Amino acid sequence: VILRPFEYVECATIDDAVKAVVAHGDDARLIAGGTALVPLMKHQIIRPRVLVSLAGIPGLDAIEPGGHGALSIGALATHHDVARSAHVRAIAPLLAHACSRVASPTIRAMGTLGGNLCYGESASDPSPALLALGAQATLAGPGGERIVPLAQFFTGFYETALADGEVLVRVTVPAMPAGARWRYLKWTPRAREDKALVGLAVVLQVEDGRCRLARLAVGGVASSPVPLVAAAQALEGRSIDDRTIAGAADAAAMELEPMDDLQGTAVYRRDMLRLWTRRVLHELAREVAG
Amino acid sequence: MPRIELTVNRRVEVVDVPVQWTLLQLLRDGLGLDGTKEGCGEGSCGACTVLVDGRLTRACLSLAVRAAGRHVSTVEGLAREGVLDRVQTAFVQHGAIQCGFCTPGFLMTTTALLAEHPAATDHEIREFLSGNFCRCGGYTLILNAVRSLVGRDVVTRRAARA
Repeated sequence: VILRPFEYVECATIDDAVKAVVAHGDDARLIAGGTALVPLMKHQIIRPRVLVSLAGIPGLDAIEPGGHGALSIGALATHHDVARSAHVRAIAPLLAHACSRVASPTIRAMGTLGGNLCYGESASDPSPALLALGAQATLAGPGGERIVPLAQFFTGFYETALADGEVLVRVTVPAMPAGARWRYLKWTPRAREDKALVGLAVVLQVEDGRCRLARLAVGGVASSPVPLVAAAQALEGRSIDDRTIAGAADAAAMELEPMDDLQGTAVYRRDMLRLWTRRVLHELAREVAG
Repeated sequence: MPRIELTVNRRVEVVDVPVQWTLLQLLRDGLGLDGTKEGCGEGSCGACTVLVDGRLTRACLSLAVRAAGRHVSTVEGLAREGVLDRVQTAFVQHGAIQCGFCTPGFLMTTTALLAEHPAATDHEIREFLSGNFCRCGGYTLILNAVRSLVGRDVVTRRAARA
C-alpha cells in the first residue's frame, strides 16, 4: 500500500505550525506519530496536499509537573513515554495505565497522546482516562492560546473542538483527589490489541462507606469519548452498596446512545457497559473496604 | 526530492527519497533491503517492524524523510559476518519459523524486548509480542524461542497437556 504524493513541511515552532495550517487551510493536515493519519491516507479516506510535521518542535514531548500538584504533558509525548513516566505514574496512574493499553508496543512507541486526542476516535484509551481525571487541553491558534476542558473537546464522531488553524499543544491533568481509587477497564471484542468496545475509566473517592466523589467516562460506546454524568450522580453522596452500584451501572447504560457496527451491536455495547460498570465499581468498593 | 543521510545497520547511507515514501519503501526499494516485509501495510500485523534509534517502529507507517540522522536496524543487521545472532539462533533452534514472512518482525520485536526486559516474564513476553501476527499459527514455538532467551523454561506440548 503506497501513499500519494504530498508536500512535507517540518516545523521548528508551534507558531510555524499554526502559520502553515492557516496558510494551507483544508489542504493541510498536521502529522505527529502518523499511526492514525498514514493508514487514512493510504486508503485515501483523506487526501491532504500538505503534511505539516510537529515532530521537530523541541520540547513538545515534555512530561513535567505543572504546578498545584498537576501534570503537564506535551502533545507529542508518545503513549509509551506517558505510560512509563514516573511523573504520570505518581500523579495520574490511571492515565499511565490507559496509555499502556493502547494497541501494541510498537504503535505505543510511535503514536502520540496529542495525535490520539485530535483523531477524536471514540475507542481511544487515554481519552476516557483524561475525562475522568478532569484534564484540560491547551490549543494554540492564530489568535494565541486557549484552554478547553476535555469534556468539551470531543464534539462528535471523529470531531473535536479544534478550530481551523489550531494545534493541540499540551494536556494538563489535575492531581487525583486524596485517597481516590481508580480503574481503566478495556473490553475488547477479540484480542488484546483490538480497540476498546468498552473503555471505562473510573475515579472513586469513598469516605466512611459513602461516595464523596465519582468520575466515570467511557470510550468505544458512544460516537465519541464521553463522561458518564448520570452514573456519577447515582453514586455521589450515597453509601456504596449493591443497590447503589446497580443503580449507577443502569444509569451508565441508559445515558448514552451506543454505536451499532461490526465491532458490536448497540444492545451488546449497552449490556457490556452496564456489566463492566457494575463489576468495576464492586471491585473498587471491595478495595476501599480493604 | 529530499536527500537524507541516515545509518542503516551501522552503515551510513545518503539517499534521495520521494517525500511520500514510507521507511519500508526506502529500505526495500531504495536500499534493496527486502528482509523487512510488508504485510498489512497499515500498522496492524508487525511484519515491517524495525528499530529506529533502538525504538520499535512500524516501517509501513513511518515517513522515510523522518529517518534522517537516525539509526535504523533491520533484520539484515542482526547476523555479523554470516554468523546468526542469539535471537536468530534461538528461533532456528526452537523451530519458531514456518513460512518465515512474520519472522523478521518477530526478530526485531524480540531484540527490543531483550533490551527493555532482559529477564522478561511470560506476561511481558506476550504483551511485547502482541502486535506481531504469525498467520501460520506458530506462536507456541515463537514463545519458546523467546523464553529460552530470557532464561525461562520452554513449554513442551506434553508439559502443557499435563
